[in-house]
Amino acid sequence: MADRDAKIGAALAAATCSLLGVAPSVSVAEEAEPKWDIDSAFLYYGESDGRVKDFSLSSHATRDFGDERKLGLDLSVDWLTGASPNGAIASDGAQTFTSPSGGKTYTTPAGEIPLDETFLDTRFALNASWTQPFARLYTVSAGLGFSSEYDYQHIGANIGLTRDFNQRNTTLSAAVAYAQDTIEPVGGLPLPLAQMPDAVGDDDDDEDDEDLNPANRGDSSDTKNVLDVLLGFTQVLGRHTVLRVNLSYSDSSGYLTDPYKILSVVDPVTGELIGRTPAPGESGPTGVYRFESRPDSRRKESVYAEMRHDFSGRVLQVGYRYSTDDWEVDSHTLESRLRLPFGGSNYLEPHVRYYQQTAASFYRYSLPNTSPLPGFATADARLSEMSAVTVGLKYGHVTAGGDEWNARLEFYRQTGKAPSEVLIGNQIGNTQMPDFDAVILQFGYRFKL
Amino acid sequence: MRKLILLATVSIALQGCASLGVQPWEREVLARDDMQLDANALDTAFDDHIYFSKEGTSGGRGFGGGGCGCN
Repeated sequence: MADRDAKIGAALAAATCSLLGVAPSVSVAEEAEPKWDIDSAFLYYGESDGRVKDFSLSSHATRDFGDERKLGLDLSVDWLTGASPNGAIASDGAQTFTSPSGGKTYTTPAGEIPLDETFLDTRFALNASWTQPFARLYTVSAGLGFSSEYDYQHIGANIGLTRDFNQRNTTLSAAVAYAQDTIEPVGGLPLPLAQMPDAVGDDDDDEDDEDLNPANRGDSSDTKNVLDVLLGFTQVLGRHTVLRVNLSYSDSSGYLTDPYKILSVVDPVTGELIGRTPAPGESGPTGVYRFESRPDSRRKESVYAEMRHDFSGRVLQVGYRYSTDDWEVDSHTLESRLRLPFGGSNYLEPHVRYYQQTAASFYRYSLPNTSPLPGFATADARLSEMSAVTVGLKYGHVTAGGDEWNARLEFYRQTGKAPSEVLIGNQIGNTQMPDFDAVILQFGYRFKL
Repeated sequence: MRKLILLATVSIALQGCASLGVQPWEREVLARDDMQLDANALDTAFDDHIYFSKEGTSGGRGFGGGGCGCN
């Protein structure tokens, strides 16, 4: 949508030229030549305390075929490693868990938040899109996306239409996206709220994890479908200001549970972990843990507003998002960037972001050892009450040839809070959330071919 | 009914917006790369991916993101 703005000058020039019956200027003719604009970057994302690390290479290429027809290609590869909180609470004693494959165990020291260290993945993602004018003032775009991980496949398609009004000062857009994802967790899909069983066939052989057939698992895979609808409104407010407002609706259905997350089962009075002894000769959990369970549908609605304003060459960008859904996760996000050019070919860009959300209605810090079990429960901190702050700085340099290289360093801090109504006995005043700090480091290079 | 209200709101808003905006020859600032709404496309794509996998809400700027079993 915004690309149109950049093209408007050329389009108007071309239209004017044809009206006047003169040949277009050289710059318009040059712009019609096919060419690639490639934006590529390397990103490192690292969390504190040996948790998740992500090395990512990404490239966004646009080929301009003239007449506002554009091909977009996005390619990215992620290498993920590190430990991830499994959902269980810290305990006074060491805790042993069965690994997601069902074939091994891992142990967390006393007093520490349990982390699953077996987390390792490589992800490939490819997206292609095509944009072109559809009729006077209309633009149509369509895209296809695909991504693949060891235990997750995604395929999606989207189509969108934009229409300009008021001398192209106002743009309305509507877009629809549909995705089908397949989840094939290591060891199979855990049965909802089933107990974590002893490890089976622990022979230290990494190769055979898929054939272990651990207990309390169902099918090997399931699917998730996501329908997104986006309505956009862009308005030029003046020579220096542009505003965008998006309304979005998202409907997810299917398998929305995280197959690797569990909950600690605790005494309903003290809130202490219920102990467990593995079967004779077996290794397995030393506490009672249950796999999580989430509803099989989720409907989200959000409104997003963003404004860009130019102050004599300095550009301030401010964005706000409010999102609400039927899991009762409501969130506010406020974000700002300020681009400060200096020395003719450099810029600095500070960035701040603040995020906060409420807990999902089925978030639990732990599960009391009572029956019946709730219909749904998760101890995933991403669905608890939480807030997060990002502070960053980007530096960019434009070369004599018009290419740009840049570097970005950011810090992210996430702080969770268990709502008091989900805390039991001694947990009150002793809650430990899996808070973390992360560093984001990015090097980018943008060039034309 | 909701559609009618939406339609009415949009058409009123569009008429209101007709008085806003600039003439084609006043777009030199708006046409600059750093004034485009998707000027930081790669940064925001990385950010959306990170926040999608670490927070309970995603999307808004564009589609909900995802396509990953991120944990």
